[in-house]
Amino acid sequence: MPPDALTASRSRRHIATLTRGWQRVGVLAALVLLVIMASLLSPRFFTVPNLLNVLRQVSIVGVLATGMTFVILTRGIDLSVGSLLGVAVVLFAGSMDSRGTAVALPLGLGAAALAGLVNGIGIAYAGLPAFIMTLGMLSFARGLAFIYTGGTPIPILNEDFYVLGNGYLLGVPIPALVLLVALIVSGFLLGLTPFGRSVYAIGSNEEAARLSGVPVRLYKTIVYAISGLMSGLAGLLYTSQLSIGTPIAGQGYELDAIAAVVVGGTSLFGGKGSVAGTFLGTLIIGVLANILNLTGVDPFVQQLFKGALIVVAVFIMSRRT
Amino acid sequence: MRPTPDDDDPNVLLRAKGVGKSFVGNMVLSNVDLAVRVGEVHAIVGENGAGKSTLIKILGGVHQPDAGEVSVGGVPRRLRSPRDALVAGIVVIHQELSLAPDLSAEENIFLGRFPCTVLGTVDRRAMRTRAAALFDQLAVAIDPDRPVGTLSIAQQQMVEIAKAISVEPRVLVLDEPTAVLDEQRVATLFGTVQRLRSQGLGIVFISHHLEEVLRIADRVTVLRDGRVAGSARVAEIDQDWLVGCMIGRDFPAHSPHLCRFGRSALQVDGLTVPGEFTDVSLTVREGEIVGLAGLVGAGRSEVARAVVGLSRPSAGSITLFGKPVTIRSPNAAARLGIAYVTEDRKAQGLLPNRPVRENATISNLRRFAKAGILSLSAEAKHVRDLVKGLDVRLAGPGVEIRTLSGGNQQKVLIGRALTVGPRILILDEPTRGVDIGAKQEIYRLIERLVSEGMAVLLISSEMEEILRLPDRVVVLRRGRVAATLARAEATERTIMKAAALAA
Repeated sequence: MPPDALTASRSRRHIATLTRGWQRVGVLAALVLLVIMASLLSPRFFTVPNLLNVLRQVSIVGVLATGMTFVILTRGIDLSVGSLLGVAVVLFAGSMDSRGTAVALPLGLGAAALAGLVNGIGIAYAGLPAFIMTLGMLSFARGLAFIYTGGTPIPILNEDFYVLGNGYLLGVPIPALVLLVALIVSGFLLGLTPFGRSVYAIGSNEEAARLSGVPVRLYKTIVYAISGLMSGLAGLLYTSQLSIGTPIAGQGYELDAIAAVVVGGTSLFGGKGSVAGTFLGTLIIGVLANILNLTGVDPFVQQLFKGALIVVAVFIMSRRT
Repeated sequence: MRPTPDDDDPNVLLRAKGVGKSFVGNMVLSNVDLAVRVGEVHAIVGENGAGKSTLIKILGGVHQPDAGEVSVGGVPRRLRSPRDALVAGIVVIHQELSLAPDLSAEENIFLGRFPCTVLGTVDRRAMRTRAAALFDQLAVAIDPDRPVGTLSIAQQQMVEIAKAISVEPRVLVLDEPTAVLDEQRVATLFGTVQRLRSQGLGIVFISHHLEEVLRIADRVTVLRDGRVAGSARVAEIDQDWLVGCMIGRDFPAHSPHLCRFGRSALQVDGLTVPGEFTDVSLTVREGEIVGLAGLVGAGRSEVARAVVGLSRPSAGSITLFGKPVTIRSPNAAARLGIAYVTEDRKAQGLLPNRPVRENATISNLRRFAKAGILSLSAEAKHVRDLVKGLDVRLAGPGVEIRTLSGGNQQKVLIGRALTVGPRILILDEPTRGVDIGAKQEIYRLIERLVSEGMAVLLISSEMEEILRLPDRVVVLRRGRVAATLARAEATERTIMKAAALAA
C-alpha cells in the first residue's frame, strides 16, 4: 500500500473508532458531558431552580417528540404537530371559560387526535407520502386555528387552569410530570405490547411485517393518531403556561420535535430507537439552550449551535454499523 | 457435437474464447467459447444458474472476464463498461426494460444524444423522421409521440429494440425477450428478429423456452454449470438433444418417505389470478411435501402469494382440511394455520435491524400476550427453544438478525413461520443463498416437520432439492400446470421437459 493510502486508511479507521466509542457511551453520556460542561461554564446552571426550569421548558417539545417517536419508528414523519398544537390551543382557550374544563379538554385533545387520525388514514390507506400528507395538514390546521380566532389571541380567565402549566407537585413542575407520564405510557406501549413491537417491525421492513401478519395499515394509522393526541396534550401545557390562546402557537415546533427524536438516537430510517432516547435528546437540546442563555450567548448565535448539534448527531448515527 | 470454432471464419462477428469468471471464489463461467456469425440468430440456453446472465453481462461490458477474450469482427476488445461494448458494436437489451415512462417513444430512442439544430435546441423534426425510419425498419406501427408508459409491454420492447438499432450495432443481445410476451406478441417479435437477421446483424438470443429456440435460432449453445455443454446448428438437433445437454445427468431418485400421508390439508382448485397464473390445481396432504417446480416467471411464487391472501383470485377455490375458505391477508392465513416463508429474505423476510428474538416472534405476538401485555419471559423461552430446535448459531437472541449468516437467518425465518403453529407450511426457495451445510440442515428440518404431520408446499428452482424432498412435483409453465409427477416419475428430464417445452 502506498504511504498516502495507508495514512488515509489509518485516519479513516481512527474516525470509525471515535464514532464507535461515541455510540457505545451513547446519548446518556453525551448528556452527562454536556451537563458537566454547563456546570463549569456557569455557576447558576447546576442549581435546583434552574434545572427544574429546564424541565418545564422542555416539556412541551418533549411531549411532541414523544408522539413523534412513534411516527419516526415506523419510518414516517409528522410535520403537522406544531399546527395541531395550535388548533388544540385555540380550542382550549375558546371553550375553557364559556363551557368549562370538562368540555374544553376533550374538545382540544379530541380535535388534535382526530386530525392525526386523518393523517394516518391518508398515509396508510390512501398511500400518500407521510411528508406530503402531514405538510398539507400543517397548513390546513394552522388555517383552521386562524379562522377560529379571527386572528386575535383568546385570553383565559380561569386561574386554576394556570396551575397546570406553571405549578409544582412535590416540588416538580407539573408539565414535567405530564411529560413523564406520557413517556412512561409510550415506553410501555412500545416495549411491552404487540402494537409497540409491530411499530418497530413496520419501520424495520414494512413488507416483511405485512407478510408476517402485522396489520400494518391499522397500526400506522394509530401511530399518527397518537402523534396528534400528543400534540393536543402539548397544546394543553402551552395554553396553560401562557393563559392565552394564540393561533400562531407551536409554529416551527415540528422541527424541534424531530430534532429531539433524532438527537435521542432514533433512526429516521425506522425500526431503531426509543422514547427514553427521545427524552435524553429533548434534554440535550434543552440544556444546550439553557447554558447558552445563561452565558449570554446572542440568540441568533444560539441557532447556529442547535443546527450544528442536529447535524453532528445525525452524522454519528449514520455511521452506526 | 461441439464444432471447433473456425478462427479464420470471416463471417464470425462476435467471438468469445475461453471466457471464465468467478465471484468471490465461486466459479460461474469456465472456458466458454461462443461464435456468432453475420446474419445468424444464436440462442444460448441453460438452466437457472447455468451462467447465461453472467455471459451476457460480460458481452455487455458489465462484468469483466477473469480469463479469455472477446473479439468483435476479428478485433479483440476489452469491454470494461457498457459504453465500451456499445463502441465495439454490441448492444444488450435486458429483460427489465430501461425506458423513461414519461418520455415519448422518440425521446427514449435518442435519450442522451438528441439530434440538435444549429441553435443547440433539440431538432424535433429530425428526431421524428429518424424514429419513424427506425420503426419502419422494424415494421412496427408505434406513434413516436406517445409517452412510453402508455404503450404495451410488447411495444415498449420494440422501442427498446429501435433504440438499440439506432446506434447501428453489429451484434444485438436479447435477454429473455419473450418472457413478458404472449404467443401472438412472440410471433411479432420473431418477425422483427428475422428482419434484423436478414439485415446482417448477429443476434444473441437467450430463452428458457426450448421450442422458441428451435423456431427462431440458427445455432444454439447450451451452458451447464458455467461450461459449454454443447453447441450445434439447430437444423441438426432436436428437443431431446437440448434437454439432454442442459441436464447432463439424471439425479438418482431418493427413496420415498416411509410415512403415510394423512388427509388433504391444502387443496387448490382451478385457481386463477389474471396476469399471473391460470387454472392451477394441487393438493398437499398432511405429512406430504409437494414440490412446485418451473422456470423463473412460471408463476410459482404467485400461487403461494394467492394462497396466503396477497392477491385476489378471479376464479377457483381454496379448501383447508375439507373446508372451503377465502383468505384475504397473511394474517388471516396464519390464523387458519398457513405459514409462508418468502423467497426474498432481504426484501420480504428480515427485520434487519431488530434482534433475532423479535424476528422470530413477530408472526404471532398474540401468543405471548396476556391482557394485551407481552410476556417477555414466555417469549424468551419460546425463542430459546426455537434456536435450539433449529440449531441456529448465534451469540444470543438479542443480536440483530442482519449480522447472521444466510443459513442462520433462514432458520430464524422458518422459526418465525413455526411460531404461527402452522399445519401447512409454504417454503419459497428455502435454501437460496444458504451454504451447503445449512442447506442439509434445512432439508433435515423439513423432513422432520413432515414426519410430524406438517403439510409442506416447497417452491424451488434447485433441481437437486426438487428431486430430493417432494413426494410429488407439480410443474408450472407460463402460469399453468404443465405436469403433476409422482416421485417415481420425477426426474430432471421429465421436469425440464414439462417446464420448458410446449405440451
